[in-house]
Amino acid sequence: MNITGIKGSTNNRFFEGCGHEGPVRCIFLCEFHPVAGPKITCQVPEDYVSKEIFDAVSVYIIPKTQLQRSILTVNVLDYKITGYPVRIDNTKYARNAYYFNLCFVCDAWARTVQYEPVVKKLSEYLMMMEQESGFLSDENTSNEKLRLPLILQQILRDLNSCGMSTVIEGTTTMHLKVVKISPDPPPIFDHLVPIFTVDRNSFREQQWDLTTQQVLPYIDGFNHVAKIAAEADVENNLVKACVQNLVYYGVVSLIPIFQYSNVYATTPKLRFLASNRRFQEDCLEYVSNSETDLPSLRDVFILYSNMTHGTTLRDLCLRFNPHALHVDECKLVQFGLLHKIIRRIQKYPVFIEVPGHPSPVSALQRNFNGILSYDEICCKYGMSAQELDEEVECDPSVTLIWK
Amino acid sequence: MKKKVLLMGKSGSGKTSMRSIIFANYIARDTRRLGATIDVEHSHVRFLGNLVLNLWDCGGQEAFMENYFVSQRDNIFRNVEVLIYVFDVESREIDKDMHYYQSCLEAILENSPEAKIFCLIHKMDLIQEDQRDLIFREREEDLKRLSKPLECTCFRTSIWDETLYRAWSSIVYMLIPNVKELEQSLNHFANIIDADEVLLFERATFLVISHCQRRHHRDVHRFEKVSNIIKQFKLSCSKLAAQFQSMEVRNSNFAAFIDVFTSNTYVMIMSDPAIPSEATLINIRNARKHFEKLERVSQTQSALTK
Repeated sequence: MNITGIKGSTNNRFFEGCGHEGPVRCIFLCEFHPVAGPKITCQVPEDYVSKEIFDAVSVYIIPKTQLQRSILTVNVLDYKITGYPVRIDNTKYARNAYYFNLCFVCDAWARTVQYEPVVKKLSEYLMMMEQESGFLSDENTSNEKLRLPLILQQILRDLNSCGMSTVIEGTTTMHLKVVKISPDPPPIFDHLVPIFTVDRNSFREQQWDLTTQQVLPYIDGFNHVAKIAAEADVENNLVKACVQNLVYYGVVSLIPIFQYSNVYATTPKLRFLASNRRFQEDCLEYVSNSETDLPSLRDVFILYSNMTHGTTLRDLCLRFNPHALHVDECKLVQFGLLHKIIRRIQKYPVFIEVPGHPSPVSALQRNFNGILSYDEICCKYGMSAQELDEEVECDPSVTLIWK
Repeated sequence: MKKKVLLMGKSGSGKTSMRSIIFANYIARDTRRLGATIDVEHSHVRFLGNLVLNLWDCGGQEAFMENYFVSQRDNIFRNVEVLIYVFDVESREIDKDMHYYQSCLEAILENSPEAKIFCLIHKMDLIQEDQRDLIFREREEDLKRLSKPLECTCFRTSIWDETLYRAWSSIVYMLIPNVKELEQSLNHFANIIDADEVLLFERATFLVISHCQRRHHRDVHRFEKVSNIIKQFKLSCSKLAAQFQSMEVRNSNFAAFIDVFTSNTYVMIMSDPAIPSEATLINIRNARKHFEKLERVSQTQSALTK
């Protein structure tokens, strides 16, 4: 059989590293037999992974001691095999140890990190069953021939259909669940404002830890992190940890501090407001300042469109009087930021030494490196944007970058 | 100087146990706890200061063997100095064992035709004592015949007696780069001090690497017996955190001295009991410098050639 020609892949959309998750195609149990060496003893569906392919990578499935008890994933041809090799030392076994590896097989292009905890947990259940009653190794019970294929088949079916599986075998109950793995949340800064992206009532506060419960009431879409820490009387790093956790679970998003001196600009996503009916309805409901009268789409669209470089929110309000249009400008900005149809233009002061006028650099001027924004500097020194403006304006060696 | 030694044989034949006893200070009883060797275990053993034995202990399970002959063929069988093939004397599948052995020989012929081949008929302790010679002769005949055109040297071994040391001494002897020089010097030394016999052991393994016999002795197996006994004694000493240094044993018929010789060797001198101990000890001390120099020279030589 020609190993290189198996299952010619015709898909162009999916490639290794594309990040798409796929179903589990096969589950197999591999053991180390004292005479035959590594071999597959049970596989569902049968013969999914051929003997030739298995032999090519068996050294990663039953690996040397140093690689035992860790997740090992091997890509070979069209398969991605994830396993957790286990060795049980006991003099009752021939050669003093029993080696096995319970593996999931997915397509080569699929993301598999979400299955890793499941593979590990299932292996640990099997390890426990083996240690208690020789479930896997005892040849007299024929568990491997009869019970195990049924168990693996059920798990395969359940995980692919609803992401979880409960299997009862003898006195052991196995609970398996595929948990969505999200990317790491960003670091949280003092000057950022957390805002809820889901309805507060949709989750039970008692389920969160005590610190988070203490912090939750101060997350109102206006308080920045430093302020929350002060008001809730919780240590700053703890607040950051809580907020980061909430961001990870998609419950909270981070937006900049609301100030009338802020400048915003639209993003290309604004066109969805023009085209998507549902989006329009959500928007008008959110930004309305009255319970009864909703603003018109035209007015809201004009307000957003006029957000640009050089126009502060104050300018916008003076020009258009959002209140009269039934628009709450704070909520307007919040909605825009949350849905990424507008973005904040930050000011970055840069200190450039004036040639011929060398003077000692003040502590404040040291922050003018083009990396720290107004928001960050103000937060750090506890000054208002106006105060910082005054400092910057009378200093000829400082230039402002808006981006 | 690095020399590659392949250790092959069916699963469970005793390869790792032997390696552990000779090179890793295991006693026979300890080998019971060893697990199966997964694929190839590589170890580097420093020998005599000028030789590094690159041991390839190859797991004998069928899946691995097939792998060695096919996908890993070049990697395994190139640049081999010595092939040691271990046969379990109690094996019920002699035909299969021979088949694997022949596959090895084919691969050796293709990749390392100059390699020296040793066959160990192992676990002889499981055979009744009066049958041992007969069974060994039969196996040896078969193997020599099957190995043609290659030549093989056969040994009968067991981890429970000195036969293990005999086989491995002979194997290692083939690999020592300056063994002839050593023998000459040892000869000279033995003549000067009027010894009955002088043995040179490698320090860590206690394998006999050279000897000079000036008086007849009827036990041809005495070398490996001494290796075995002294190695066990040395290991027992280290269990009590004591380092074995030297030993003097005498009776009315002989005087035996075992002492540290060079940084890599021990020496054993058998002499006439009439010669006072002091004389022999002084001789050992004076000879040391010369043999140290020999070792250093050959070390630089091999460093240059490598």
